[in-house]
Order: sequence, then C-alpha cells, then structure tokens
Amino acid sequence: MLHLALRMARHRIAALLAVACAALGGAAFVTGIGVLAESGFRSHAPVERLARADVVVSAAQTYHPKGGLAIGLPERARVPRELTARLARLPGVTAAVGDVSFPAAVLDRHGAVLPAGDTGDPAVAGHGWSSTALLDHPRVSGAAPAGPGDVALDTRTAAAAGVAPGGQVTVVAAGRRATYRVSAVIGAAGGGVFFTDATAANLGGRGRVDLVALRTAPGARDSVAERTRAVAGPAGLVVSTGAARGDVESPDAMAGRSVLPLLAGSLAGVTLLVAGFIVGGSLAVSIGAQRRDLALLRAVGATPKQVRRLAAAQAVAVSGAALVPGIPLGYLLADRLGWLLVFAGMLPSSLPLTYSPLPAIAAALLLLLVVRVSAWCAALRTSRMAATEAVAESRSEPRTPSTRRAFAGFLLMGGAAVLSVAPLLTRTQEGAAVTALAGILATIGLGLAGPVVVGRISGALARRLPARVSAPTCLAVANSRGYTLRVAGAVTTLAMAVVFTLTYALTQTTLLKATSDDVESATRAQYTMTAPGLGGLPDDLAAAVRATPGVRATAPVTTTTVIWTYTMFGDDEADSHSAPILTPAASSVLDLGVRSGDLADLTGATVAVDADAARLRKVSVGGTVSLVLGDGAPVEARVVAIYSRGLGFGPVAISRDLATGHTTTGLDQSLLIRTDGSDAAGRGLAALASSRPGLALGRAYGAPDGAYGVPPELWINIAILAVLLGYLLLGIANKLVASTVQRRHEIAALQLIGATPGQIRSMMRREAALICVVALGTGLLLSVVPLVLLATGFLHRPWPAGPLWLFPAIAAVVAGIAFLTMEVPTRRALRTPPAEALTRA
Amino acid sequence: MRTAAEYGPAPTARQAPAVALRDVTKVYPGGVRALDGVSVTVERGAFVAIMGPSGSGKSTLMHCAAGLDTPTGGSVSIDGVTIDGLNETRRTELRRERVGFVFQSYNLVPSLSVADNITLPLRLAGRAPDHDWVRLLVERVGLSGRLGHRPAELSGGQQQRAAIARALVTRPAVVFGDEPTGALDLKTAREVLGLLRDLVSGLGQTVVMVTHDPAAAARADQVLVMADGRLRETLDRPTATELAHRITTLESE
Repeated sequence: MLHLALRMARHRIAALLAVACAALGGAAFVTGIGVLAESGFRSHAPVERLARADVVVSAAQTYHPKGGLAIGLPERARVPRELTARLARLPGVTAAVGDVSFPAAVLDRHGAVLPAGDTGDPAVAGHGWSSTALLDHPRVSGAAPAGPGDVALDTRTAAAAGVAPGGQVTVVAAGRRATYRVSAVIGAAGGGVFFTDATAANLGGRGRVDLVALRTAPGARDSVAERTRAVAGPAGLVVSTGAARGDVESPDAMAGRSVLPLLAGSLAGVTLLVAGFIVGGSLAVSIGAQRRDLALLRAVGATPKQVRRLAAAQAVAVSGAALVPGIPLGYLLADRLGWLLVFAGMLPSSLPLTYSPLPAIAAALLLLLVVRVSAWCAALRTSRMAATEAVAESRSEPRTPSTRRAFAGFLLMGGAAVLSVAPLLTRTQEGAAVTALAGILATIGLGLAGPVVVGRISGALARRLPARVSAPTCLAVANSRGYTLRVAGAVTTLAMAVVFTLTYALTQTTLLKATSDDVESATRAQYTMTAPGLGGLPDDLAAAVRATPGVRATAPVTTTTVIWTYTMFGDDEADSHSAPILTPAASSVLDLGVRSGDLADLTGATVAVDADAARLRKVSVGGTVSLVLGDGAPVEARVVAIYSRGLGFGPVAISRDLATGHTTTGLDQSLLIRTDGSDAAGRGLAALASSRPGLALGRAYGAPDGAYGVPPELWINIAILAVLLGYLLLGIANKLVASTVQRRHEIAALQLIGATPGQIRSMMRREAALICVVALGTGLLLSVVPLVLLATGFLHRPWPAGPLWLFPAIAAVVAGIAFLTMEVPTRRALRTPPAEALTRA
Repeated sequence: MRTAAEYGPAPTARQAPAVALRDVTKVYPGGVRALDGVSVTVERGAFVAIMGPSGSGKSTLMHCAAGLDTPTGGSVSIDGVTIDGLNETRRTELRRERVGFVFQSYNLVPSLSVADNITLPLRLAGRAPDHDWVRLLVERVGLSGRLGHRPAELSGGQQQRAAIARALVTRPAVVFGDEPTGALDLKTAREVLGLLRDLVSGLGQTVVMVTHDPAAAARADQVLVMADGRLRETLDRPTATELAHRITTLESE
C-alpha cells in the first residue's frame, strides 16, 4: 500500500511539498516548545559552589499547590543552625558545613567596588569561614578569621584590593560598611569574602543557615543521603545529591525555570492551532489533487477503507520525511528562544535547557496523529462514494457546500465573539490572551463557513455584473462562484494571517500601552537609586538621600514573588505573582490609584490588592488574604488598600514588615525619590551616588533593574508572533501555489477555446484580487470585535493601541502572496502547449 | 429570417482552402519523428477523418494543423493565413477567429452555464454574440431548454452538443474534433456524428476529425490514413468494413 501511495504521490509534487513544509514547521515548533516545557521540569542550574558537597540539605524551594504544577520559590528559605551538628554525627559523614551566603562587596583603596565572589553576584558573595570546606583544595595563607573584625579574601580580590594578610580592607556586608582586618588570603578556584561563622550568622542567616552541605566517606554517599532523609524529611527539609544540588545552590534560577512550563503552555495552544491549520489545509489540497486517482482506485476494486489508508499512508510518509530536518530545527529554535528569554531577563543565564529525545518523540507522535486524522478526513468523502459516482464526481469539481458545516462555522464564530468579552471582565494579561485566541477560533469558524460565505459573495457579484463585462472578469467571477471550496480555502488561510497578525500584535501593543500607562501615571518619583555593586541598598542610604537638598520624599521598593492561594468555584487555586514590597511611605512616590483604604497602613502583616483581583477573589479592605511568601512561608495578611493600577504593579503589594526575613538578601533593592524637580536636586543626588560605592542613579520610570514596568513576556510574545507568522505565511503560500498548479487542465482548456495567455493571466489576477478583498474584509471583520472589546477593557476607548501601518502592511503582504502564488504557477502553466497539458492531465 | 447558408464561414479569402499543410515535419526532443513530410489540403465544406493506429501521428497532425503545436519543418496555413512563426498570442487570436475545437472530454467550463459556455469564445474575442446565430446553433444541437444549466447537470451527449455549439459560435473556417465520440455510448455517438455531418451539409462547415473508430470515420467525405508519421493513403467515402480492414492490416505490419 505504501509503495502505491508513494508512486501516486510522485505526480503531485507541489501539493506534497506544501504538506512537507507544513509538517516540517509544525515539527520544529512543537519540538521547540517541548524542549522549553521539559527544561522547566528537568533543567538544573549548574553545580558550582556545592560541587564538593556530596549531600546537601536545605529547605524546600518549591510550593506544591493541590493538583497543580509545583511553583518555584525564588527567595532563600533557611534551615536551623543546630541541624549542622546533628548531621555531622551521622555515620559516613566526614564534614558538615552550615553554609550561609549574604551580600558582601569589597572596596578598593579609592572606594570603588571590586567584583567579588565566584559568581560575580555581590548579593551572595559573603560566607562564613566553615564554607571554605566547600572550596576545591584551598591554599590558605594566614589564619582563619578570629573575631567580628576579621575577614578572609580570595587571592584575586585581595590582589585587586592591594592587601595581604594583616592588612586593612573596607567591606560593605549586608548593607553595613566597615573596615576589617584581612586574616587570610585563600587561593582556590572559587572565592568570596569569608567572615567568622558567628559574624556570618548574624549578617546573613539571622541565626539560621542557608543549607547544610555534607561530605561523605568514599562510597558512603547514598547511605548518608538515606540517613539524612530520615532526619530531615520529617522537618520538611529536602535532601539533594548530584545535579539537583544546583537548584539548592541558586533558588532564584530554579524558580526562574518555572516560567518555562507556563510559557510553553501559553504558546502550545496557539502553535498547535496554527500548525494543525496549516498541515490540515495543505493535506486537503493534496488529497483534493488526487481525488480522481483515488476515485479510480475505488473503481478498480479498492475498498473505502483501503483508499483512506492509502491517503493516510502517503501523508504520513511525506510528513515523516519532513520530521527529519524539522526536529533538529526545533532544538535550534528552542536554543534561540532560550537565549531570547535570558536576554529578556525572564530566565537566569545560568540555567541550561535540557535537550533530551523526549520532545522529539512527542512532536513526532503529535504531528503524525494530526496528519493521519487530517488525511483521513480529507479522503472521507471520496472514499465513501459509490465507485462509479466517485469517478463521475471527480470530473465535475464544483459541488454545493454543506450547510451543516457552515452552521458549525457560524456557531464557532459566535462562540469566539462571546469569548472575546473576557478583557472586559478581567483587566489582566490572562484576560488579554483570550482576544487572540478568540480571533483564531473565529478564523477556524470561517474555514468551515467559508464555502457558503464565498458562494454568497460571488453569487451577489455575479448578479450585479454588467452584461458586457470583459471575458476575464466574467470568468473570474464564475470561477469564484463555481469553485467555492477552493476559493474559500484560499480566503480562509489569508484571513487567518490577517486575524492572527492583527489580534496578536494589537493585543500585545494594547497591553503594553495599558501597562506603561499604569506605570507612568503611577510614578510620582523622578529618580530611582539602586546598588548593583553591593547586592542591596546600604542601610544608611535612605537618610543620606533624604538629607539631599530638594528631595521631597523617598520610599524603598523591592520586588519579590508571592503565591496567592484562594478558593474559586470551590477549587483551591494558587497563582504566583511578582509583587512589590512597599512601606507606608510608598504613597509619597507612587500613586497606585487607591480606590479604598490607605497605603499608609502598610505596616505589620498587611497587603494592598488590585481592584480586579479583589473583585474576582472576593476580598475587600479589612479582609484577609492567604499568601505564601517567596521563601515558602505561609502568611495571613490583612488588606489595607485596594488599588486600580494592577497591570503595572501586579495584583498584590505586600508591606515591608511582612516581607522582612523572607527575602534572600534582606535588603531593599531600590529607592524611589521624589524631588522638587529642580536641577540642583538632580545634581545633588548624582553627587551622592558617585560619592558612595556601588550605587546607580536612574530615571524612576523604566528603572534599569526592572523593579516594575513593562513585563518582558510582551517582547517574547512579539518575537514568537513574528516566527509563527513566518510559518503561517509560508504555509499559506505553499497551499495557494499547490492549488493553482492543479488548474493547469482548466487553463489549457480555456486556451484551446481561444483565451490568450494575457487573458488567462488577467483572469487569474482578478480572481486573486477577489480572494484578497474578501480575505482582508473578513479578516478585518473577525478581528474588530475582539479588539474593540479589548481596547474598551484596557484603554477605555474603542480602538486598540498599536502601529497604524500594521493593517496596510499585512494587507500588502496578503495581496503580495495572493498575486504571486497565482501569477507564478499560471505563467509556468502557460509555458506548456495547451494540447500537451490536456493530454497529460 | 436569413437562410442557413448565409450563416456559413466568414467571407474572408473564400478561394483559399480551410487548412493546408505543406511538407510538415515534427520531431520531438529525443528524436521521435511524429510527422515525416506530410502534405494535406482540406477544402472548404469538407468532412475529413484522420485514422491510424496508436502512435501513427494522427493527433500530432491535427495539433499542427490547428496551430496548437509548432511543426519542426514545413508550413501550415489556416483559411489562407500562414501561421508559421506567429507567437502564442497571435496564434490564439487566429484560432479564436477561424478554428473551433471539439474534444473527447468536452472541456466545458464547469462554473459557467451552457449559454455562457457557448458564447465564451465570442466574449474572449471581445465580440458581441449574434443572437440569431446563437439561437439557430442551439436549436440545431438540440439544447434549447438547457441553456441555464451547468455542464455537470447535462448528460455526456448533451455536453458534447454544447461543445459543438461552442466550436461553431465564431463561425470558424474549420472545426477540429479530437475523438469527439470517444467518451460516448454507441447511440449517442451516432447522434453526435449525425450532428457533425449535418453541420457540414447544412451549414457548409469544414470538419476535421481524428478518430480510431471506423464507423465514425465512415461518416466523413474523405479519410486520411496515417502510419509511422506518414500519410499512407486517402480514401474517398469508404465503408466502415473497408476501413476496419485497412487499419487491421496497418496494425499488423
């Protein structure tokens, strides 16, 4: 059967090429998304500092909601210090290190910050002396720090600071600047700033340690891990060995990876829809081209089942061949996407993607399933007809479109319109995402109703056509009316491009505008002060800033992650959000659009909540919400204010009092500063920033470290839109070329009865124009409803934000594709003498 | 009301033969010699059939005579106009004015009504249809009640009648038929042949028909027998039996 299928296929190269391209692109996208999803579950940050630890005990850095995917917790959760001694006594343990990391930065003689630590991240450069046991063969010259005024430095930092053991050095540790005596210099691959364990515990752990690293006797790793689990398990602690240690080492990287399954999930829907649409469309054309062959097979005795099997075998063989280049392309795509995510700051650069054969297998299975089902559906009609009828019908191509199919299509379009009300109900990214989805659903509806719609339009056109219109025009209209299925196929795919581009791009730009409007109108401060070199703001900075002439108000803003747990429709929900940590002073620099309550009450265990979220989750001022903080600590917090600018600031803002002790560094990340607006104030702040080490002064709006502002997902979405659109356009072009190539016989017959090549070309151009106009019209119509609803919900006006050139641009692209895909195959067809073309067909 | 004879071929170059081939050779790429120095003259008002075994060159001869294919050597003129060296557009225009076609597979445009199909060549030529002539043709081919139908709604014989009307609507100098009865059952085929015969006798049309059916060829005034790219013989008003015998002999050579 396969042999026969391939022999038949050889004569329909154009159509099969379209199938192959569609399958190739689909395989690449599905594989790429699969790699992202798998990496989200299986990637580990590289093990660096903990490479010499055999077993690591730490607090759980994930939150497991009931029946949901685990959510990573980015803030370090700590373990009791006493655990170190208990674990050290376990048999097989040769050393137990209670490791702490905290912000520390060494200053050189001129007061400039030196790059510290092995990761170069000052926020985790400070450690206790016992952590030197984690270093690989350290060469220590000098003695261990003996008192609170002693530190040990790695060789590189010591050399850069120009100190030797016994010398003096200035260190900003956990926000406090002090002069220390250098007791030792350590030569090792890694490094950092080492204090006495007691000092480190005070500065970083606040009496607790980040984790306990165990070294074991040779061969004892597994038994130690087992015993450790027995001790640590009941306390809710996690024991890691091997690659999993990387996650413990950097919980923020681990939490960062949980963005991957979310992203993959949100991409999977639209990608599968588009890939299915393109693959299904190209297969319909390919099988349509072979309808006569299939009918003849029926006539010579093939059963309907055999015909369907043949069609499916052929489609699967072609797509299978396309998978070979498609899947490697998918891995390449994932690599690029990973790079983009790192670039956008959504993924830690230290987190590698996991490349296993799993996504390839999933993509292959999924795609071949889609191909089989599409091929089966496309061959269904031909295969089920009586053999003689099948041959007869294969000659008279036009047939009346099915009204049941059209009804389903109109139903789908209506459903899409209802769905697109979502942005009116919830002014969130999730709400906006529905807009594009509704657009795509509506296009699929158009795909079903297309033949009837096209029939009506061309029928109306034919009736209004003046009697003395030129032959090409008359033929073009008659063809559009007679071949409604073929024309509707072209119209639907082109309309899909229009709807996809308009709804996706304009959703993103509208969201962007609404978000930046929120942030812009909320920001009352002019400046933001950050300390990128120190890992957190020094504790005396706020006072110094306030003392600068011209400064009216300051308030610290830090971003953390919280998980909001609530009940909706009887189900327990847990949503992870990025949340600002605010003080009661926040209202002096930020105007969140408070509807009720007061930000000044943000003391103790309190939060402020976005109005949309408050309405959906049924909370009000004075009520309480259940949150899980960034380190996994569950808290109940009282709602003190409801604000409206949730798009820019997220659904919840928590008080600094509530967050204290639940962030990795324990320091404020940025200071928003409102001045009197004078240049003198700006100069004063600039002078302050440059006079102290490690500070940076920036404009308040669009703060460089992204304390809040435009979510990077928007840029990712736009980048992905561009790639998907490329695939969609290629698929459309292939499909249209394939369907034009099949008209060679029709063209030849027209030539024989006296149509000149010029008349044929002009007929085809008119058909292209008609297809183009109908596609643009329906595409625009289907996009307008969801976009108007979106704009009303997000911008409080009926038209979306976005570039004006978008519609003309997509119109030009659609017109270009429609004309080229008809013009080029037509010119080729005209080169064959008509008599020859007729006998060959 | 004008008489049927007045609707005959357009009065251009009445003295010239409908089709004249002089020393026509056609060599296909690869060296296959499909036509080897064939000379044929078809006079106006003649009904000529071309016969021959498969691969004898009869289809190529017709394609060259109709200006569908360009010969490698020799000269072709239709209605006194030499078509050698004309480009595709000029040749199409000439065909449109002076040549009609009837195919085995009808080749009607499925999306057009029967009436639109019949007048399509006139539309393509940018000429207004002569309504009396069209009505006469439709009556002659017996499709008066079917003008609003789509081709798919007609039987094979009716579709071929529509194709014949379409071939005649421009009042061409010659109508070529490529196995015009090949797809029809015996009874319908006989009717269609009768119609062609009638058009020649009644309207003074010229018809050249390729066929391998001796019964069909026997309706012609003259039968040209082809073999191996050459014109073997010309038979005037042969009987079907005679023809069948000739072809069988040729095929067994």
